[in-house]
Amino acid sequence: MRLPKFNYLGPKTLDEALDLLDTYKDDAKILAGGTDLLVRMKKGLLKPKVLISLKALNELSYIKKQSGFIKIGARTPLADIIDSDLIQKEAKALFQACKKIGAISIQHFRGTIGGNILQDNRCHHYNQSDFHRSGRQACHKDGGKICYAREEADRCNSTCQSDGATALMALGADITLVSKSNERTIDLADFYTTDGIMPHACESNELLKEIIIPVFGAHSSYQRLAYRSAIDYPIVCAGVLLKPSLKNEIAEARIVVGAMGRSPLFLAQISSSLKGKKLNDTIAFKKAADASMDSSATFAVHNVGATLEYRCSMVSQMVFQALEQTAETIKA
Amino acid sequence: MATNISFLLNGDKISYEIKDHWTLLHLLREEMGLIGTKEGCGNGECGACTVIVDKLAINSCLYLAIDADEKIIETIEGLASTDGTLHPLQQSFVDNGGIQCGFCSPGMIMSSKALLDENPKAGHEEIKHALAGNICRCTGYVQILDSVEAARDKGGQNE
Ligand SMILES: Cc1cc2nc3c(=O)[nH]c(=O)nc-3n(C[C@H](O)[C@H](O)[C@H](O)COP(=O)(O)OP(=O)(O)OC[C@H]3O[C@@H](n4cnc5c(N)ncnc54)[C@H](O)[C@@H]3O)c2cc1C
Ligand code: SF4
Ligand code: FES
Ligand code: FES
Repeated sequence: MRLPKFNYLGPKTLDEALDLLDTYKDDAKILAGGTDLLVRMKKGLLKPKVLISLKALNELSYIKKQSGFIKIGARTPLADIIDSDLIQKEAKALFQACKKIGAISIQHFRGTIGGNILQDNRCHHYNQSDFHRSGRQACHKDGGKICYAREEADRCNSTCQSDGATALMALGADITLVSKSNERTIDLADFYTTDGIMPHACESNELLKEIIIPVFGAHSSYQRLAYRSAIDYPIVCAGVLLKPSLKNEIAEARIVVGAMGRSPLFLAQISSSLKGKKLNDTIAFKKAADASMDSSATFAVHNVGATLEYRCSMVSQMVFQALEQTAETIKA
Repeated sequence: MATNISFLLNGDKISYEIKDHWTLLHLLREEMGLIGTKEGCGNGECGACTVIVDKLAINSCLYLAIDADEKIIETIEGLASTDGTLHPLQQSFVDNGGIQCGFCSPGMIMSSKALLDENPKAGHEEIKHALAGNICRCTGYVQILDSVEAARDKGGQNE
């Protein structure tokens, strides 16, 4: 399979990269590890004229702790995140999620955390070769007016299958985006649109610079299900964060369900229903897990493999296991 | 656009004029005629295209040729000696039935080599982890794992 033609630009500094982005805007795409981008280009799903490589920008590759926050540069390889004691100890859900991504040839091969959360949504009707798609009408995401995943859908219901995004949202992470003239930091949960065609709000002249995870005495866990443990994307996943109070009750909870909707789903109401509950209240965990299943089921369509029924019923398992595992680590 | 890159390929210094949109797999197979490295899926899913770049096993179908500039690259062609003696891993795949149709073998062997170069004592689980991105449609994997373990046990020596 060949790549369509493009020009490769290798800026030496961040400023140079931002200048190039500002010049080429929609004609350019940023190349980090390329493990999402190049696959989509090979399938003819996008044809940027220019690729701006982050290869030389080592300034975007770091993991550090600074005044109560873990800061991760956008170009940090997944392999570095897996190797980091800091992440393993203080942002366990992210560690567990990254460990599950792809096989080592994806992790080593520079799959980055930035590219992971900015990867496009997926759908098995859309992520197909040019040849496959040429045999039928284009769907919404492909520029057409129909949807193969949900009959009569007036919009695209592609699925966000990023493991990293689900874990980071559970951890309450913010992200910093920079452009030539601006820099903004936003809550990852507010970064996603509800549009399957343009799933997140990264402007064409913006570059993701940093991921910021608050560290405040909470514990987290991540669970996911895929066909094969290596290589395959999740068909359902869940990230959970619990902060214990001094009385060992739950002071704060965050439940995020991934691979079910157009973005990871932060279930705020269900999360807060756990406040004040004991850490060994399995019945409350079960209730929250079942409610998570009911909530996320309304978002999911049959487009990433396995039956919808199976994926929905496994949401409750994933959430329950993540809650139990988090509570266990707190108790230990 | 065309760019000139130079790299070390199986110990030889190479200089090549490449196009920006070529993958390393395209450069090796289509331009240089090194067809030992295979193209299975072209999308990072099968590992048939695995080569070693700066000691790491990578999928050459998703690696731009331009990024190979100044790198050290190893492919399956570099393993056997010039007199035709197979590399211990290759010999072990032959001896232990790790090869049937052979399409996955170059990728399997390069993934295994990257692992054993880094950790000559890798255990069963580490081997499984290192080969998790390589798909084989013939052997059922048991013989492949046996082949790698046998090569490891011989400590990189042929009998
Ligand atoms: C076989 C296979 C299996 C996979 N399995 C999984 C899986 O299980 N779970 C999972 O989550 N992912 C999976 N992936 C997807 C992908 O490999 C990972 O998400 C990886 O982390 C993407 O990172 P990258 O650096 O390669 O991204 P790239 O492909 O380089 O970039 C992805 C997108 O983000 C943009 N981008 C990248 N960095 C920046 C930045 N700093 N600023 C602005 N834009 C940027 C790019 O322009 C592109 O649109 C898989 C991929 C393959 C090929
Ligand atoms: S959900 Fe529908 S519109 Fe969106 S990519 Fe799939 S088939 Fe196309
Ligand atoms: S051809 Fe590269 S992974 Fe399949
Ligand atoms: S031997 Fe045929 S694919 Fe592995």
